[in-house]
Amino acid sequence: MSILQEFTKGLWKELPPFRLVLGLCPTLAVTNSADNGLGMGVAVIFVLVLSNMLISMVRSIIPKTVRIACFIVIAASLVVAVELLMQAYAYPLYQRLGIFVPLIVVNCIILGRAEAFAAKNGVAASIADGLGMGLGFTLSLTFLGSLREIFGNGTWFGHGVMWEGFEPMRIMIQAPGAFICLGLILAAMNMYNYWKAGKGKAVPAPQGGCGSCGCCSLERREDAR
Amino acid sequence: MIAIVRMVVVLSVLCGLSGFALSYLKMITATAIEEQELTYVQGPALKRVFTQAENSPIADRRGFTLASGEKVTVFPIMKGGKLVGVALENFGKGYGGPIGVMVGFNTSDDTLAGVGMTTMKETPGLGMRVADPGFTTQFMNAAAPVSLKNQGGKIDAVSGATISSAGSVEAVNKAAQAYMGLKPEIFKAWAK
Repeated sequence: MSILQEFTKGLWKELPPFRLVLGLCPTLAVTNSADNGLGMGVAVIFVLVLSNMLISMVRSIIPKTVRIACFIVIAASLVVAVELLMQAYAYPLYQRLGIFVPLIVVNCIILGRAEAFAAKNGVAASIADGLGMGLGFTLSLTFLGSLREIFGNGTWFGHGVMWEGFEPMRIMIQAPGAFICLGLILAAMNMYNYWKAGKGKAVPAPQGGCGSCGCCSLERREDAR
Repeated sequence: MIAIVRMVVVLSVLCGLSGFALSYLKMITATAIEEQELTYVQGPALKRVFTQAENSPIADRRGFTLASGEKVTVFPIMKGGKLVGVALENFGKGYGGPIGVMVGFNTSDDTLAGVGMTTMKETPGLGMRVADPGFTTQFMNAAAPVSLKNQGGKIDAVSGATISSAGSVEAVNKAAQAYMGLKPEIFKAWAK
């Protein structure tokens, strides 16, 4: 695969939270507003790109038996670095994200990409992979956060976007709202893929009795009877 | 055997390098973090303690050294060009770590002007409730030292959160002690 493909696969085909359904803990927990989602996503991009780069650089000297420990050391150091930088330059964001910044260490996307990709591929490809996955994660979180903020609070990035007299659905910015939104997004994406694969088209009337179109297993079941 | 040695060496070198990198990063971000904490943690707490300061207590802060060698930062509250109160932060032992309390004193009669929590890691819904007005307003205009009701004092502990309440009281009393010790210096520093 080319570098570009490594980059773009994280944006749709292997979109971490919605297609791989990985890294759901921060996805559900911090997306009660669009800028929280964006902030978390940027922190993950930073950690993911650098951890992929470092791991792919040192992959030949890491003994196979302690590779997970090495990956965790690298990821944990980067997360502490993010935490320090966030405290120094974006303190309000640090206060809002709270415990979820240190928890990036155990985010399965980081370790998953390290183990599945960076440990086997070159530096450039690993950076592209991390960037694509991180960007996909960020876009997903921002999208989910936007939906929840717009319907739950009537604002988007803190600016009012809904009409006068709009009654916000408080549940959307609370924990159940995260599950509802995630479920609807997953359903919509599956529907889109189903439709794109052509399975959603109207089935033409079968010519030689039911089951001849091969769309279902009705005939076989009838045979069994 | 060689594999084991290699394993140990690689892992130790990796950990050592990351340790060095992080301590360097911590060193260079320390001042920026302190500034941010003053703005976003101590600042709001100060506002809760003294609502009508006419100066900027954070910009006018000054460091003092106690007789015990401990360093304390004092935030002055001015009104009409005169010192009416000071605030200082101190820590008590909580349930999930230290509880930071910003304690304000009226300089006219040495009573407490109020308290505001700064940093703590108490249990949400239980220990965290020591930051609620129901608990903190009890310190308003009280005379130091204060103590909880079960110790014969006047402060009602938050129910179910005795350790957090006691930690807050401990922080307040430590701040009061520091204030008493520093009083002459404080008056000299801002006497105009």
